[in-house]
Amino acid sequence: MISRYTAEIGTATLTAGLGLAAVIGALEFGIGWGDAGPESGTFPFYMGLLVVLASIGTLVQATVGRKGLQSVFLHKEEAMRVASFFLPMLAFVVVSLLLGLYVATALYLAFVMWSQGKYRLFVSIASGIAAAVTFYVLLEVAFQVPLLKGPLEAALGIY
Amino acid sequence: MENFASLLHGFGVALTTYHVILMMVGVLLGILVGVLPGLGAPNGVSLLLPLTFTMDPVAAIILLTSMYWGALFGGSTTSILFNIPGEPSSVATTFDGYPMARQGQATQALTLAFLSAGFGALVGVILITVLSTWVAQFALRFSSPEYFAVYFLAFASFVGLGAASPFKTVVSMGLGFAFAAVGMDTVSGGLRLTYGFNELLSGISFLIAVIGLFGIGELMITMEEGLRFDGIRARVKVRDVLKTIATLPRYWVTLLRSAAIGCWMGVTPGGPTAASFMSYGLAKRLSRRKEGFGKGEPEGVVAPETADHAAGSSAILPMLALGVPGSATAAVMMGGLMIWGLNPGPMLFIERPDFVWGLIASMYLGNIVAVLMVLATIPLFASILRIPFAIIGPVIVVVCFIGAYTVAGRPFDLWLALAFGVVGYLFKKLDYPIAPLVLAMVLGDKAEDAFRQSMIMSRGSLSIFWSNGLVTTLMLIGLALALGPVLSTLFGRLTKAKTSSAVA
Repeated sequence: MISRYTAEIGTATLTAGLGLAAVIGALEFGIGWGDAGPESGTFPFYMGLLVVLASIGTLVQATVGRKGLQSVFLHKEEAMRVASFFLPMLAFVVVSLLLGLYVATALYLAFVMWSQGKYRLFVSIASGIAAAVTFYVLLEVAFQVPLLKGPLEAALGIY
Repeated sequence: MENFASLLHGFGVALTTYHVILMMVGVLLGILVGVLPGLGAPNGVSLLLPLTFTMDPVAAIILLTSMYWGALFGGSTTSILFNIPGEPSSVATTFDGYPMARQGQATQALTLAFLSAGFGALVGVILITVLSTWVAQFALRFSSPEYFAVYFLAFASFVGLGAASPFKTVVSMGLGFAFAAVGMDTVSGGLRLTYGFNELLSGISFLIAVIGLFGIGELMITMEEGLRFDGIRARVKVRDVLKTIATLPRYWVTLLRSAAIGCWMGVTPGGPTAASFMSYGLAKRLSRRKEGFGKGEPEGVVAPETADHAAGSSAILPMLALGVPGSATAAVMMGGLMIWGLNPGPMLFIERPDFVWGLIASMYLGNIVAVLMVLATIPLFASILRIPFAIIGPVIVVVCFIGAYTVAGRPFDLWLALAFGVVGYLFKKLDYPIAPLVLAMVLGDKAEDAFRQSMIMSRGSLSIFWSNGLVTTLMLIGLALALGPVLSTLFGRLTKAKTSSAVA
């Protein structure tokens, strides 16, 4: 169980970190006056600084109003539901990069239908393949937009 | 009169068979993305945008704007039938729309929603027709400092007028600018903020951010809530529709007031969501039947729907005339215009009048097409939500990632979309506004260029932002808006302290 206060602090720290990254990154390129006006780091530097300052503002606001932020941000049951959605999605991205988007689509849809929708394995696999083929026809044939392909497409001679 | 003649010419451009078919396809796709959880108007437009790169810009923008109208209508359908707002701007419609549907008045609620939405959109488009040339001509006087001041004003109004914490709005906006700065610097041509990653050389596309923030983030929220789609079956009977149409004039005050609120919030970047809530709140406060609100009061459907669509359509005005979009979806569309090689702003009216007026004319036609099509297809789209989420959910995920890949054909964008999805989930749950982030990503380069050019003009002195009446006025309004929340908090504390010391 995560409280709203913890989530506020965690997110504000994350945004402050991103702002700091922009500040440090921008310093490399100079924030002064160059041959062509302000150097290229100037704008991102001040934007990063603004993010850091506003994140500190959020941190202070959360700390001051801590009492009012004790509500639950994420219940255990909700966290489980989010994880059961996020992890297959993460796997989908990894498989897409290794085997291409079509194979990943077929596998991902089949897996989610079978494991979460409780469909029969055969129905799930058939639906996954049908969806991948539909996407292929729609994107590559109709709109001429190529998607990321992997070894299976190469073996089948599809480029 | 000049505008009227241009509009007639625009109708000539928009009223071809090809364009009308595109409108119908766009509206249908829009209703689909509006109905499906996780796929809203900004997301739908982002997903469709890469497929329009090969199209003629007039045809492409007609397809995209029609999708926008369709998505706004689709969002209302799910709000009323399923109590699930397909769009954030449809949340206020659930308050009375769903209770009406539960009382067996689904057809009445839907008809009222669509007709008032159509009315709101019409007022928005009339506003664009009347004002666009004037605003564009006014904007022709702008040079870099004035443009920077307009961008400053737009972002300041997010801070001042938004419902979120000003700090969170600034974080969201600043991050958007920082993301926009990644990759090639438009002035020096050098690379920056890439941290040695080759994948970041070509920058971070705002389209990937929209897909992650609005699509994947929204889906994660939907999953967390474990939504069950327990909808009300609706069959739209022509007789009931006609009867409801006859009752519409009864709400003329609400219609006009809500359209005015919507237009104002659309032109300033308050956006449709803020407009619908504000309009609902005012309708409730000013109504004679206050106690009926929340229990199925028709006025509670009319008010947010009119404002939502008035804001949605009038958000196109600053995008076209100034190059400053009034909503997240308008920002995505503006990004599209830039990708097609068009430069939104006053020069567009001079360089491409066929495009501008074809677009404005298509907004009239697109909304009429949308009202008719949405009334005809409610049962079809409502049945989509009866497909189990274990099928629809992963299909939407796949569509989002395929959309992210098609933006530039870069595998790394899949990771970026996922990361933005997590950010979107956190931001939504913690009330960080997302629209300023998207707007900053789209306007980042333009705002920075305007700032740098102004600095070059003044040899590094910030006084250029106070150098004439126009830029000073814009900056002062911007500052007042940006500092408004801080000043009102301080003022509130001071008054409180005085009151308590007086009591003591």
